[in-house]
This record gives sequence, C-alpha cells and structure tokens, in this order.
Amino acid sequence: MSSELQEIEDLIARMAMGNRQAFREIYARTSAKLFGVVLRVLEDRAEAEDVLQEIYIKVWNNAERYRVNGLSPMTWLITIARNAAIDRKRRARPVQSAEMLNEALADPGPGPEAEAVRRSDRERLSGCFGELDDRHAEAVRRAYLDGDTYADLAAHFEVPLNTMRTWLRRSLLKLRECLSR
Amino acid sequence: MSDETPDRDDDIVLAGEYALGLLSDDESAAFELRLASEPELRAIYAAWAEDLAAMTEEVAPVAPPASLLPKIEHRLYPDEIRRRHGLWDRFGLAGLAVAVLALGLYVGPELFDRPPAPPSDPAYTARIAAEDGSFVVAAAYDAESDALYLDRREGAATPGRSLELWLIAGDAAPVSLGLLSDDPVTVVQVTDDLRAVLDGGVLAISDEPPGGSPTGAPTGPVVAAGPITES
Repeated sequence: MSSELQEIEDLIARMAMGNRQAFREIYARTSAKLFGVVLRVLEDRAEAEDVLQEIYIKVWNNAERYRVNGLSPMTWLITIARNAAIDRKRRARPVQSAEMLNEALADPGPGPEAEAVRRSDRERLSGCFGELDDRHAEAVRRAYLDGDTYADLAAHFEVPLNTMRTWLRRSLLKLRECLSR
Repeated sequence: MSDETPDRDDDIVLAGEYALGLLSDDESAAFELRLASEPELRAIYAAWAEDLAAMTEEVAPVAPPASLLPKIEHRLYPDEIRRRHGLWDRFGLAGLAVAVLALGLYVGPELFDRPPAPPSDPAYTARIAAEDGSFVVAAAYDAESDALYLDRREGAATPGRSLELWLIAGDAAPVSLGLLSDDPVTVVQVTDDLRAVLDGGVLAISDEPPGGSPTGAPTGPVVAAGPITES
C-alpha cells in the first residue's frame, strides 16, 4: 500500500476514535475526488452537495467498521460516495443499502484481504476494457460512472433488455478473466 | 475459463452486477445476505469494488464549496457550533477568518458588516482578467489557511447565470474551485491535492448555468483568465 493510502487508513482509524481533526483532514484530501464522482452521477450541483454531506456523515459514522470490510481506503470512500449518489439518483432504493453492505461486510471471518490489497490500477483496467467490444466496455462504464440501470443501457444502445443483460454479463466474465491474469 | 466452475462464474457475474448497481432491490438484498455468510463471495465482491473504483480516475475532481464542511460538522457535532473556533487554532487567524466566513454563510449573513480581509502575505497571486478589462478578479492565496481570496473588481455574472472558478494545471482538465459569490469577495478553501498544482497553474472564470456547471467541466464561455504567480 502506498504511503498516501496508509495515511488515509490511519486517518480513518483516528476518525473511528472520534478524532475530529482526522475527519477534517480526510475531508480536505478526498472531498474534491468524491464530489467529482457524485457530480458525474447526479449532474446537479445542489443535489450533489446535499449527497456529499450525507456521504461524509456516513464516513464518520462507519469509520470504526472500515478495517474489517476488506476494501482499500480509497475504494471504501469511493464506494460509499457512488452508492449514495446512485441511491439519490434512483430514489427508489433507500440510502440504507450502503449501510446494509457495511453491516454485511463487517463480519471479520476469513477476509478477502489478500485479494483486496492488490493494487487496482487504471492501466490494468483500461487494458482489459480494451479487450471488450467498444460498446460493451461503454456499457460497463456507464453503469459504474453514470449509474445507468439495465433499462437505461438498453434504451441507450437500442437493444432489447435481455440482449443488454447478456452483453453485460458476458463482459463481466471476460473482464474478470482478464483482470485475474 | 476452463478452471472455473459454472457456479463460480455465476457468482462473479452476480457480484459484478451488484458492484455496478444493476441488481433489483430484492436481488441486492439477497446478495447482501449471502455476503454476510460467504467469505469467498466477499472476496469476489471486494475484487470488483477495487477494480471498478479505478474507473473514477478518469473523473475530474471538483472542489465542493467552502460552506459545505461547516454544514457537515454542524450536523455531526451540533452542540459544538458555538465553540467552533477552537478547531481552527492550528490554522491561525487567517484560517479563522475563513471559518467565520463559512460559518456566516451557514448561520446567516447578518453577522457580517465587513468582508474578510485579503491575506497580508500571500504565497501566490493572480490577476484573472478579461482581455478588454471588462472583468477583473484579484486572487491571493494564503498558504497558512489554504484559502484563496478572490476580489471581484470589475464585471459581474449575467443575471440568472453563475460564475465558476477553475484551476488549470498543465494539460490536465480544469478543476472546479467553486462558484464566485454575488458579493465582491469570495474565499475558496483549497484542498491538498490542488494546492500542489497552484504553482504555474492558470485560474479561469467561466459563465455557467445557475448553480454551476452540471458536468464538472466548463460548459460556458471563459470570461476571464490569468496565470498564478509566486508573490
């Protein structure tokens, strides 16, 4: 883990003990990144600001559960941010989903650490995206970065819903196969 | 994937769909129940979460408005709002001015008679100006408080539009530093990752829809720009 990630992990640990200065530092280091992610999903500044508040409240409240969830610190923060933004975008799914996930992951057990500490890097991912059909790669990207549903994707690519599901599921298998090489 | 069982392939796909947010509510809830009891499934999900998060590196960071942190802190520690300045000790007096400004935006403008004072010893300055001088903003960055002080001396937003400030470093995409306030003076908090690229960067102001660019990148014409120079 790079020293920067280590520092963020340490800040999360201090935050878990109620250290407000640590919270402020986490915010200074990560808020522009997370706000960018949220804005990308919501495309509405006022809503994005509102959701960013909820995200950092969640980060503060869940900090003590971070260590056992098996995710690297930035992935944990990005996942909380993205889930909150998508929950807001869809409204139908209440915000508790991210909390449920945290609960679910909070079981220490034999963890996924070995796999999770593996540095995910953008080049590896974009290399694997390059092995997919362009439209299939774009579908995965739209789902993750824009929060598109299967219905959104089917409409965008003008294919039947079931075709969309098949594309995407095959793409996921190919991606995982490539990423595991 | 000849060495994988079909069941494992199914789980890889399911965990990927979950990580992408493509499952229905019921499917998600069922998946979360399984996560709680199946370490192997957790590992598959964690691998997706890590790998997919790398995609966010292509998303440009956007600084949230300086008024947001005080709002969050007020929600986290509501009883602390009156004793807030203690938290700002390490930032010194200039930082306190920013805190008071941010707090003021939150509790109401009636606390203020005067705008915040510009930093007395700025590390960097910039003159963000239109070519014809019809729009001029003087910018000064105070390293101690990480605050960028902006004084709009000429020009204003078109009615019904907002002015958004951008930092452009090298060939990187512009990063939003937030909106200019309707008052002449705006103070923007600069985050750690942006502070490093101030030197040699360019500040620009664009005309945007009310509330700012909806995309995270400038959408309207640039009304003024100027290089950041060490002072």
